[in-house]
Amino acid sequence: MLSRHLLGLLLGGLGCSLALASPPQEGWNTPYAEKTAALGLKGDIVRGESAFVICQGCHRVGALGRSDGSYPRLAGQHATVLIKQLSDVRSGRRDNLKMLPFADHQALSMQDVADIAAYLQSLPVPASQGQGPGNSLARGKQLYERDCQVCHGRQGEGKADKFFPRVSGQHYQYLLREGGLIRDGKRRNAHPDMVQAISSYSDDDNAAVSDFMSRLPVDGR
Amino acid sequence: MRVLTPFLFSLALLLPASLRAADAQETVKKVCAACHGVDGNSTDPVNPKLAGMDQEYLMRQLKAFAAGTRRDDAMSGIIATVDTSDFAKLAAYYGPQKPAPGKVLDAQLAAKGRALYEDGNTDSGVPACAGCHLSDGKGNARFPRLAGQHPAYTLKQLADYKSGRRATDPLMTTVGKRLSADEARALAEYIAGL
Repeated sequence: MLSRHLLGLLLGGLGCSLALASPPQEGWNTPYAEKTAALGLKGDIVRGESAFVICQGCHRVGALGRSDGSYPRLAGQHATVLIKQLSDVRSGRRDNLKMLPFADHQALSMQDVADIAAYLQSLPVPASQGQGPGNSLARGKQLYERDCQVCHGRQGEGKADKFFPRVSGQHYQYLLREGGLIRDGKRRNAHPDMVQAISSYSDDDNAAVSDFMSRLPVDGR
Repeated sequence: MRVLTPFLFSLALLLPASLRAADAQETVKKVCAACHGVDGNSTDPVNPKLAGMDQEYLMRQLKAFAAGTRRDDAMSGIIATVDTSDFAKLAAYYGPQKPAPGKVLDAQLAAKGRALYEDGNTDSGVPACAGCHLSDGKGNARFPRLAGQHPAYTLKQLADYKSGRRATDPLMTTVGKRLSADEARALAEYIAGL
């Protein structure tokens, strides 16, 4: 009896301290010092090219990523998006254990982050990205126009000032994986509207819309 | 004099480097050559070839040994006997020496190493070596020359990064930890042939 009472007290105390320890609920793009500072720095393309050298062992020369989706394309992505995502990884808001040692504060300065983002945004996006099987493009188009286009744009161009990523030119396998993670609540820094919009997607829906996005036109430079 | 001025000027530019190299000769003979060779091409495969390495890189390593961020049973003792003011001279002496080519003994192993060197391992998150060291492995001030290096030495460095005995670069510490023993052997073999 006594021990049960004690246990209740202990558990109660634990719950209380957990509640105290957890930080206030943060929005998907709540400002925080590091991100705000990096966004305020002027990025330099030439310095960015040099700083990017330590990234290209994975993201490849020209930041074209890999068509198996293991590493995304970064070429042509909006600098704002890149700074947000990179800062989120560095500050523990987006989980990426593979990348972290190559992007943490030991590896990159805040200025490096701004420079790399400027460099990546300036890169051409050739139409060589990996595409899906192409067997449900009509369904993919329907979903994209209904749920995605409002933020990611008719051409998948995204919106720099809103931190909405460009999706055109991205590898199908990467879109597929991240779509699943976002739907399942495993990407902690995702926009709640997106999580909501795709929450009812089956795996087939996710595949169909990813396939459609992987075929959106790129500038082909 | 008007004719001579440009000549004297260029001579003055050349002088410091040649003087430095000449100054280094004695230390090279007395201290370094037993392991690294007079021409920077060591014969014992546990000792690195220094010939062809970037001077700035060599300088950084000498300082790292002196500071203890890089440790080695032989070098950590020897570095204490070298005057820090000689470091630049030694780097300037060994860097420009002509590197002797290495030898691949196991072509199959080297082929595995090539795939890893160029493409990395996406499962374990090992980046392609070529990302930083470039495909030719010739190196620069930022990333060391790997081409033609003795496999035994390359393997020891990867192990030292993994264990923390060499703590000169956190990225390479991560790479050392992510490489399997088989992968490290394959890479070292491939690098010897670059």
